[in-house]
Amino acid sequence: MLSLPKDLDAVDYSFQRAYVTGMMSLISRLLQAGSEVDDDIQREVAALPDGFVFRMEVMPDSPSLMLQKRDGTLHILPKESPIKSDLTIKFKHVTHAFLVFSFQEGTATAFANDRMLLDGNTALAMKIVRCLNRVESLVLPKVVAERAVKTYPDIKLLDKLQLSTKTYSKLVSNLVKEI
Amino acid sequence: MAKDYYEFFCPVKIVAGLKALEHVPYELSSHGSSNPLIITDKGVRSVGLVDHVTKAMDAAQVSVAGIYEDVPPDSSTSVVTQCARYYREQGADSIVAIGGGSVIDTAKAVNILVSEGGDDLKAYSGAGNLKRPLKPFFVIPTTAGTGSETTLVSVIKDDDTGTKMPFVSHFLLPDVAVLDPRMTLSLPPKITAATAMDALTHAVEAFTCLAKNPVSDSYATAAIKKISENLVDVLNEPSNVEGRLELAQAATMAGIAFSNSMVGLVHALGHNVGAVAHVPHGVCMSILMPYVLEFNLAERADTIGDLLLHLAGPDVYASIPSTQRAEKAIERIREMKEQVYSICQLPRTLSETGAVQRSDLPKIAQMSLDDASMLLNPIDATYEQALEILQQAF
Repeated sequence: MLSLPKDLDAVDYSFQRAYVTGMMSLISRLLQAGSEVDDDIQREVAALPDGFVFRMEVMPDSPSLMLQKRDGTLHILPKESPIKSDLTIKFKHVTHAFLVFSFQEGTATAFANDRMLLDGNTALAMKIVRCLNRVESLVLPKVVAERAVKTYPDIKLLDKLQLSTKTYSKLVSNLVKEI
Repeated sequence: MAKDYYEFFCPVKIVAGLKALEHVPYELSSHGSSNPLIITDKGVRSVGLVDHVTKAMDAAQVSVAGIYEDVPPDSSTSVVTQCARYYREQGADSIVAIGGGSVIDTAKAVNILVSEGGDDLKAYSGAGNLKRPLKPFFVIPTTAGTGSETTLVSVIKDDDTGTKMPFVSHFLLPDVAVLDPRMTLSLPPKITAATAMDALTHAVEAFTCLAKNPVSDSYATAAIKKISENLVDVLNEPSNVEGRLELAQAATMAGIAFSNSMVGLVHALGHNVGAVAHVPHGVCMSILMPYVLEFNLAERADTIGDLLLHLAGPDVYASIPSTQRAEKAIERIREMKEQVYSICQLPRTLSETGAVQRSDLPKIAQMSLDDASMLLNPIDATYEQALEILQQAF
């Protein structure tokens, strides 16, 4: 059933922007880590052309995440990087990005609801969407992941825990290296 | 359940019915056009369909800048560039496309070049790269299937790389689509059947996939009803003018539905059956549709069940318990396929096409996973599931 917030004036766009900025940073680090430890994500990334750049942003020009395939894995690019992206997914408004990153609306539903625009090769976009779905399925509790992805994968709890631990461990070790 | 958010857009004026072609001169003048270029293909011209249009224009003292008839079935950047050059040489001021999907896609791309200037079509590929209205654009379809007269997409092969480039913009939509039964009367039964099944698939997927909305649903269900009520009659009596018009309208309505709600797994698989084995698109759709609907039952049984009302009518719908309607709707589509096969031998399975080998199926399944149509299917098919559907359809 449709429902509206009790107090429409209570929508805090500043909070949404801050939350989305944080989640984009987290998701990009999880994608980078996933591309180093998870077979499924590695298989998708292997099929991307070397140097391929993916960008996700909120219109008009922030916040954003940018990843590049190099040496078989994904690497985070600074958002001010001058490199032109090969594939861009643009949310029309920060609220739409907030819906997706707070797992109130799945990625496919957001596309179906015209919340975002896709510019670039659609076949490569499908690979990126599968990477996003995979990383969300691995690191989120099943009850949350089922809201985020259209089809939750057939994965055993023990396997999920192992892969989730490996992904987060890799994320932490990448962060340590940066420091 | 109410749709929590949706968008719907269709600014195309539909001019449909008996003597619709005779409205073309008025539509041209109302858009300030006095010197249109006709874009078509040799097949359409050779059967006299272009003559129907030019005679109607002659009678209203409207001349054409020229007729470009060299559009191939699989159009490319060089064809678009050549046609745009001809447009400029002839001093044309608008475009009238007469043909099927390839002609209409080519005309959309030509309109980009003649409106924006230059010959660099690639600069406009992708989504949202056109920022202003193009030249007046009129479409007269000669098949009742693709719905291209109401879509905002054009797909053109890049001659340099061999890849297919999509162009997506609201500015590609025609100003006017003219549906006249004279334009599809001579369509052979097998092509009539394949194109109608293509339109049926557009409507069924628009109605059952994730981006469905109340407005596109109304177009989709009306299209389904028209096709299920008229296709067999038209195949049995190809000169049935009323039935031809119903199919043409159904194709346009299905086009409006799917250009707003998109399509799903039938198209994801079908695009790649076509790419690998060169099976006509409508034939792929007809073959695969019931198998994909069965696959989607787990998530969409109620919606697929609702199709039965439009496929079989209220009496049948009311007589079937709600829990059995989805299976009955799929059964009804299978019955249509059998009826069509008995009249014009439209293939019912991939093996009956004679073009698809069982050894092709793994490649088709793999390619289908990367097809954008998969994104809005109710279920994300895995490779194994896609292969299973193809094996069932073989």
